[in-house]
Amino acid sequence: MKRHRGRLIAVAAAAVPVLALTACAGSTTPASTQKPVNKVFTYDTTAPVMVDGWDPATEYSDGILAMSEMYETLTRYNSATNTVGPMLATSWSSADGGKTWTFHLRHGVTFHTGRPMTAQAAKAAIQRTIKLNGGAAYIWAAVKTIDTPDQYTLVFHLSYASPLALQASADYSAYIYDTQGPAGQTGNAFTSWLNAGHDAGTGPYTVQTWNKGQEFEVYLKQFGKYWGGWSGTHFTKVVFRVVPQDTTAAQLLRSGQVTFIEQIAPSLWSSFKGDSSITTVSSPSWQNLLAQLNVKALSLPVRQAILYAIDYRGIIAALRGAGVQSSGIVPPGMFGHFSDLPDYSFDKAKAAALLKAAGYGPGKKALNLSLTYTQGDSNEQVVATIIKSDLAALNVNLSVQSLAWPTQWAKGKSSNPAQRQDIFLEYWWPDYPDPYSWFSNLLQTESPPYYNLSYYSNKSMDSMINQVEPLTATDKNAAAQLYKNMQVTIVQQAPLVSLYNANYQYAMLSGISGFRVDPAYPNVVFVHDLKP
Amino acid sequence: MIRYVIRRVTLAFVVVAGVVILTFVISDVVPGDPAASWAGPHASAAQIARARQYLGLDQPLAVRIGKYFAGIVTGNWGTSIHTHRPVLSDIGTAAPATLELVIAALVIAILAGVPLGLAAARWPGRGLDHAIRVGSVLGVSMPVFWLALIFQLVFAQRLRLLPVAGQYDPNLVFSHPLTVRTQLPVLDSLISGNWAMLGSTLTHLILPALVVAAYPAGVIARMVRAQVLDTLGEAHVQMVRSLGFPERTVFGTFAMRLAWNPVAAILALVFAYSLVNTFLVESIFDWPGLGSYAAASVSTLDTPAIVGVTLFVAAAYVVANLVVDLVQAALDPRIRLR
Amino acid sequence: MSGIGVRGFGVRGGVRGFGRFLRANPLLATGGMIALLIVLIAVVAPLVVPYPADAGAATHPEMALQAPSAQHLFGTDQVGRDVFSRVVAGTRVSPLVALFVLLIACAVGIPLGVLAGYFGGIGDETIMRITDIFLAFPPLLLALAFATVLPANLTSLTIAIAITWWPWYTRLVRGQAASVAGRPYVEACRALGIPSWRILLRHVLPNSVTPVIVQVSLDFGGVILTAAALSFLGLGAQDPTPDWGLMVAEGQNYFTTQWWLVTFPGLAILLTALAFNLLGDGLRDVLDPRRVLIR
Repeated sequence: MKRHRGRLIAVAAAAVPVLALTACAGSTTPASTQKPVNKVFTYDTTAPVMVDGWDPATEYSDGILAMSEMYETLTRYNSATNTVGPMLATSWSSADGGKTWTFHLRHGVTFHTGRPMTAQAAKAAIQRTIKLNGGAAYIWAAVKTIDTPDQYTLVFHLSYASPLALQASADYSAYIYDTQGPAGQTGNAFTSWLNAGHDAGTGPYTVQTWNKGQEFEVYLKQFGKYWGGWSGTHFTKVVFRVVPQDTTAAQLLRSGQVTFIEQIAPSLWSSFKGDSSITTVSSPSWQNLLAQLNVKALSLPVRQAILYAIDYRGIIAALRGAGVQSSGIVPPGMFGHFSDLPDYSFDKAKAAALLKAAGYGPGKKALNLSLTYTQGDSNEQVVATIIKSDLAALNVNLSVQSLAWPTQWAKGKSSNPAQRQDIFLEYWWPDYPDPYSWFSNLLQTESPPYYNLSYYSNKSMDSMINQVEPLTATDKNAAAQLYKNMQVTIVQQAPLVSLYNANYQYAMLSGISGFRVDPAYPNVVFVHDLKP
Repeated sequence: MIRYVIRRVTLAFVVVAGVVILTFVISDVVPGDPAASWAGPHASAAQIARARQYLGLDQPLAVRIGKYFAGIVTGNWGTSIHTHRPVLSDIGTAAPATLELVIAALVIAILAGVPLGLAAARWPGRGLDHAIRVGSVLGVSMPVFWLALIFQLVFAQRLRLLPVAGQYDPNLVFSHPLTVRTQLPVLDSLISGNWAMLGSTLTHLILPALVVAAYPAGVIARMVRAQVLDTLGEAHVQMVRSLGFPERTVFGTFAMRLAWNPVAAILALVFAYSLVNTFLVESIFDWPGLGSYAAASVSTLDTPAIVGVTLFVAAAYVVANLVVDLVQAALDPRIRLR
Repeated sequence: MSGIGVRGFGVRGGVRGFGRFLRANPLLATGGMIALLIVLIAVVAPLVVPYPADAGAATHPEMALQAPSAQHLFGTDQVGRDVFSRVVAGTRVSPLVALFVLLIACAVGIPLGVLAGYFGGIGDETIMRITDIFLAFPPLLLALAFATVLPANLTSLTIAIAITWWPWYTRLVRGQAASVAGRPYVEACRALGIPSWRILLRHVLPNSVTPVIVQVSLDFGGVILTAAALSFLGLGAQDPTPDWGLMVAEGQNYFTTQWWLVTFPGLAILLTALAFNLLGDGLRDVLDPRRVLIR
């Protein structure tokens, strides 16, 4: 989803700061009487994190990096076991063919505003999220009514069957939060209070300062009353630091000033391998890079020609391990993925033939197209360069523009169709472990456009999208088949293509344990789980 | 004298006004939709229209220019599209860091350039002179962004002598918090006796300052050399020589005093050039100054911010020029009478 | 009188005289030779370049990021293009931009300066105030402001920098024109009824030639640096144009592990600017009659 996250650099600042270093030499103070040391986890990004406001209901961009520390969901997904585990809910059950869901809430959870979390508070949060209808609020679309028979029980009545426990673990719009500010603000006043840089979550960390537009963008400090407790060693602070340059970030890691780098130019990541002070982690993800072709500006033969003209293997080679070949648009490891789908492959002759039929191609009229990608992402830049060169061989002049994400997105959503691009590069990752978000966000008819930046509109695809969610809750095999049909349709109608599936390439200082990569929560580090 | 001052100040105002009009006219040609950029990712068409109204983009150019002028005087330089804060406050936050960098660079440039220029003039035509001349041309011809990358690679990464980026070590913020008074970390840590922080700020300042100092050092060395040589060839100096005084004394008496004149004359110029050079260097060193702000504004097509920064730098240049002119006029009556 | 006074040695003396001239002005000689070399390379570039397609749109992702070797003297970049070919091809990009910028600057600036200086009056005042405004900006800043609002390509870059640069020539020439205009023989010409344009052409312009030549060669380096800086910021040449500034920008992310991506294009910028600056310096030394004779 919501992209611009090509590469986030998570930089974790090392634990023991200068305090220990500047302690007088020769001091023999035993450890137990030393001042408690601030263990700071600095998360380094290329661009500011809180760009979509501070509202947990409508956040749909990179803010989840910070919000995942401050807010929690009812359940949490574990990709290693492919199961949904307890978080703010300790147990749950479904009845009535998946149309009634009962959640039992954890006791002793306190909001950062001071109030205790009760079923009523949780209900208010979910209803507010539904009402605001931003972000991934569609995950609650099936909810008809919510009952709170007692302080710690939530009962959902759905209008159609839906895998609610799974959806409640989503990385967007599934947070449980207090709907009142500490001074009792509600409604718009509460939203304004949130957007001024405050949080009303239940998570282990709470916001300390927000320096909008500055390098050290967000400071989070530990929330003493966190239900998970603070026994053992934990990081006490989390800092989000904006460092636009890959090379600077790499050097900061090497010098020990950062602990964790999330995504970095592959050649730099490989250069960490020999360093004993750094641990590198590579993991497949559910994130892929999509090229969305403007169906209003480009005819079907032209779109297909473009897709035949791209050297997919070359792209993978140039990425040096940061990406793997895609099959269809659903990434591997998720149901709905099929590795045997008919797909486009690099075939210059076919591309030339298709262009020729349309009056373009080598020796004929030159075709001028535009492509936009997100600035600051070296992988996207390499991909754009290769596509440009591939198309140039076919007498197609591709003008490539690198734009900051908000600018790129605004241009794609422009009300003036003449200003929109022909090819839009962006990453996508799911809202919850299900292929639905690709289709509902990218391929459903949208007017005005939001994330469907191929401007694709197909009634039969719309109806398939409407069918698949309830089907997932009742007959998963049928749902998988429907996803297969949808992907075949996409191949035939060529509104978009997945260029590659991203491998998360993390690097961090050795000595930190407890880190687990989870594609369900892309690039999120649950800092409380780490041991410095 | 008064009349001279009035004349120069008026001229300065006219120039700055012309600068504003020019940048406005330029920025009006912008393709793309700043209103959409402002309204943000969730905006509907209605919200974008409202944003257009709020930003005043629906009014004719002349009106906008008029309003902007009125705004400048009252301190409203528009609102930045990418930070959503007043441009003037953004500049106010970012400017001190750049100022710190430029001042440090100029200090280094003077400390290096003047002695080198003098040395070149003392023994002209010899190897040292040629070396210094080549060196100063090298400084002037250096692509500053390239030098920044090379320095960062060599000194910070390979040799690990100096820190990579930033203004100071972020960990120190917790253990040795800095009391902000002048917004210049070096000065603040000096004033408050925060030695750990002072050390950190100084070591972080060295590389960027050296990089930015290359150009002014070259210019200063060249100018000092030229000025001293010129003067040494003049009649009255020849006379002193003919009286039998050794070259050493001649040089000491005349050259040393004269060296500062050209430095003062071009100080405003190299100040402005260095200020603009920081645009290229700051993003490489993660220096939170005007340069980073300008680079971010360029990449988000944030025209109010770009206009604001341009105006600020131009105004700074004009003011610096004015100050230097006035000081020189105060010292040299011939200038006033022209 | 225009001073084509060669320092110490007359135009006579033939080759030996020229040799002595070069030795007496080593900086001019060095700068001139490097500049000449660069011009030569620019001229023969298409013939000399080992992988001509790499200077254009070709990519070879399988050979990305290879270190300098016999087949690729300067290594390959992030999409497998030969860096040596691109650096050599780049001699046709920035220097050409600089050439056009200065041509435009002269074409616009010199006539304006001549008119302002010779005729004086309101025209002079207006033109001078306008140049004051432009000269209030450090060149890079003004060019940056212009380049941001124009679509990013080489043409916009050329225009943006040319707009910034012409006032210097106006100023330069105006001074010359004004001083010539006041001379007795020019007044005599006017009294004789000789039309102004004749006077301008035959007396005013030739006097301005020398300082303009010096200024152009000095400015060449400055324009190249400005163009490189703007391309570095993304406002000038776009991929795959082999512009040196653009290459440095693209290579930044790989620099610490693949140093060749940034080092060679940057050296090219440095050498070109250095050569023309030395040339300009040397020319100024040689052509300025007021310069003190050192030896």
